[in-house]
Amino acid sequence: MALSGCLVVIALALTLDNPQFADFVLRLSIFGLYALSLNLLVGYAGLVSFGHAMFFGFGAYAFGLLMQTGLVSIPLAFVVSIAGAAVLAVSVGALCIRLKDIYFGILTLAFQMLLHAVILSWVSLTGGDQGLQGGIPRPPFLGVDLGNPKQFFVLACVFFFGLVLLVRQMVESPFGYSLRMVRDNPERALALGLSVQRYKLAAFVISGTIAANAGVLMSLYVSGAYPNFAYWTLSGDGILMIMLGGMTVFLGPIAGAGIFLMLNGIITRTTEYSGLVMGIVLLCVVLGLRRGVLDFVFERCGPWAVRRLSREG
Amino acid sequence: MNLPALLDCVSSSSCVVTQVSTGLIIGMLLFLVASGLTLIFGVLGVINFTHGSFYMLGAYFSLTAYRVTGSYFDAVIAGALGVAVFGVVFERLFISPVYNSNVLMQLLVCYAFILILDDVVKIVWGTDFQTMGMPATFALPPIHLFGGFVPPFYVFLTGLTVAAAFSLSVLVNKTRFGKLVRAAAVNRQMLSCLGVNTSLLYAAVFGLGSLLAGAAGALAAPVRSMSPEMGFSILIESFIVTVIGGMGSIIGAFFAAVLVGIIRAFGSIGYPLFTDGLMFAFMALVLLVKPTGLFGRKLA
Amino acid sequence: MQGRLTIKRLTKRFGGVAAADNVNLDFAPGSLTAIIGPNGAGKTTLFNLIAGRLKPDAGEVWLSGENVVGLPEVEIVRRGLSRAFQIASLFPQFTVEQALAAAVHARWRQSHSILRRFPLPSARARAREVLELVGLEAVAGQASQQLSHGDQKLLDIALALALEPRVLLLDEPTAGMGREARWQMIEKVHNLWSQQSLTLIFIEHDIDIVFQIAQSVRVLHYGKVLAEGSPREVRGNPAVIEAYLGATSASVPV
Repeated sequence: MALSGCLVVIALALTLDNPQFADFVLRLSIFGLYALSLNLLVGYAGLVSFGHAMFFGFGAYAFGLLMQTGLVSIPLAFVVSIAGAAVLAVSVGALCIRLKDIYFGILTLAFQMLLHAVILSWVSLTGGDQGLQGGIPRPPFLGVDLGNPKQFFVLACVFFFGLVLLVRQMVESPFGYSLRMVRDNPERALALGLSVQRYKLAAFVISGTIAANAGVLMSLYVSGAYPNFAYWTLSGDGILMIMLGGMTVFLGPIAGAGIFLMLNGIITRTTEYSGLVMGIVLLCVVLGLRRGVLDFVFERCGPWAVRRLSREG
Repeated sequence: MNLPALLDCVSSSSCVVTQVSTGLIIGMLLFLVASGLTLIFGVLGVINFTHGSFYMLGAYFSLTAYRVTGSYFDAVIAGALGVAVFGVVFERLFISPVYNSNVLMQLLVCYAFILILDDVVKIVWGTDFQTMGMPATFALPPIHLFGGFVPPFYVFLTGLTVAAAFSLSVLVNKTRFGKLVRAAAVNRQMLSCLGVNTSLLYAAVFGLGSLLAGAAGALAAPVRSMSPEMGFSILIESFIVTVIGGMGSIIGAFFAAVLVGIIRAFGSIGYPLFTDGLMFAFMALVLLVKPTGLFGRKLA
Repeated sequence: MQGRLTIKRLTKRFGGVAAADNVNLDFAPGSLTAIIGPNGAGKTTLFNLIAGRLKPDAGEVWLSGENVVGLPEVEIVRRGLSRAFQIASLFPQFTVEQALAAAVHARWRQSHSILRRFPLPSARARAREVLELVGLEAVAGQASQQLSHGDQKLLDIALALALEPRVLLLDEPTAGMGREARWQMIEKVHNLWSQQSLTLIFIEHDIDIVFQIAQSVRVLHYGKVLAEGSPREVRGNPAVIEAYLGATSASVPV
């Protein structure tokens, strides 16, 4: 059902040929993916990361730098950047999962800010605070020309749906349930023979890798990469998105990303004091609803939703 | 990286004195903010991410008071007390409802207020940089010390902060209030079972923490230019200080603050672009070796 | 050797206190043994040491002919030892059936499977069997956190059973229950033991229950084995009466 809804959106955007709408859909697929990957870690595995932007930024820079060499095709650059992100996630994750609760989050933040500092100070490679200059080339491959906005749009949407379905499969698989066990009662999970640390690491790596996918897409979309892709504000925005949309419903983070982008768009267009309005909206959600918007809707939708909720939980 | 510049500086006593004194006042301001952060975390179990904004408010409050009264002493009082009152109200209205929620809810409430307060400052005081200027009391010739020159205000700021640190540790270690604070850090439920009014205690601790942040803002006013973004950077740094020193430890916060201040002062010569990275690297290292920070979990 | 648990010279100190002091115990395959002792005698610590949650300072734990000291907890579980806890340790949001299916997945090393949907039909069928074995069919669809205290304890035991252990450790299966419920629970435990080929070791406070169902009894006291033998032998042992009953009546008014 969700899938067909999304197909309708693509069709609609293509037929309407409304660049603003297409723009929104593209941003939504990038940040929806990013938020979804973060929720795999925070919502399902119970690991509250404050440094998720590290992987988004890494994906964007790695892909952008590879493409700028002019030596590799888009698919190859993609595969190499994702593999690089996985290696980064394994090494950072192995260190971070040794800590618990808030300390885990702080350590992820530290590593993310380290990457940010490297990006800022390695000016010769990354362009420092100016970001990657000169645009990212998009040579055609396999008959696909990403220079064509329509082709790019379709490919981005297909890419988005592919990954969403993959994550969906993951959270509904025995692996996904093992993550919930590790989150809710790690001692018991251990006593049942689950290697808790390995599951945490797996969640960290998968989640980081998917965030890197979003980063790659972002670098293609804006034809560049900027230090704020790896800054803590983006990590914070990710948490904002999943909290706005809801952590217990699978599509919550994507809805949250949508709400976040729309809010941001409306607020920055209508007022100079965007922070003030955004802050008040946030307060209303946190202190008023006390959960994400989709969580709230689902809880109010009778037994069907409750059943679904307990399955997602 | 600029190693020659760093070596040049280290071999010149006047440069060393300048950098050490700069590092010290950075450290002192960081300590004032971080000690409030660590006190609040130790007792309430909440990381008050609005603490940087409190520092900012303290600076702006004192600026206005200074312009009205012309007395820097009044300005410091206004900054500290104004923020303390604001902190208590903030805790009662917005933080106390999320004590029992998860950490992300608390985080979001604080984040919302970071955004709100930044804009409130923009509306009230404008977006431009503002300066207080050195108050007449301290507009004296610099003091000659170990072959270098140190502004008298630096000496005042350092002395006052050390005195504050000392009083704080006496308060926590020697008084009934301190006993409650230490007890709350160990077992909050037990305390309320014993008939202690925890709401009052929490509000008092939050107020004290806010007072320290406000005082830091007021003390920073003569030596820092003010802008609505000033809360962000001190938040991150004082957070690093809190983690390195050990969340909940006031002594830890003091040492870590001085350390970070010195790293920042010399880092700005040797590795200007990587100073932040250096501090985060140091924090990561501390967390990996001793997750509870250099001075453990205990308060004071 | 399968299902034999032998403990040799096991020692564990916390500060100056010896929670296990040169403990030597042997549990024959298929036996039903109760461990008794006053509060603080080191009973739960002994379980934690056996299960690999705590590392002993010295000594050996032989499980089915292999010394498992130093192995990670997970490896010991995989070698056929599982346990239920004094306070039921569950997954609050999982339904009873989901929880058991998850345990079956763990037993079958399917917990990491990413390409299939949870629960695998075969695992679900097996979970149903375990449900029937412990008599929780009626609440199969309920969230674990909504179960009654007794059913939570049962589910905890069922999770351990779903791992098809050779050695099963039950830490106070009747903790926190009324007298009637205690007897029902212990009857269930006894039935489970007689239907499976299990080495079952349980900690119990209720002496009547212990003497009624256990084949043999081990008495722990300040980390030491004070007595062992059949219920009859232990009951007549003057040291036990002196130390165990004396200590109990002195420190805990029953």
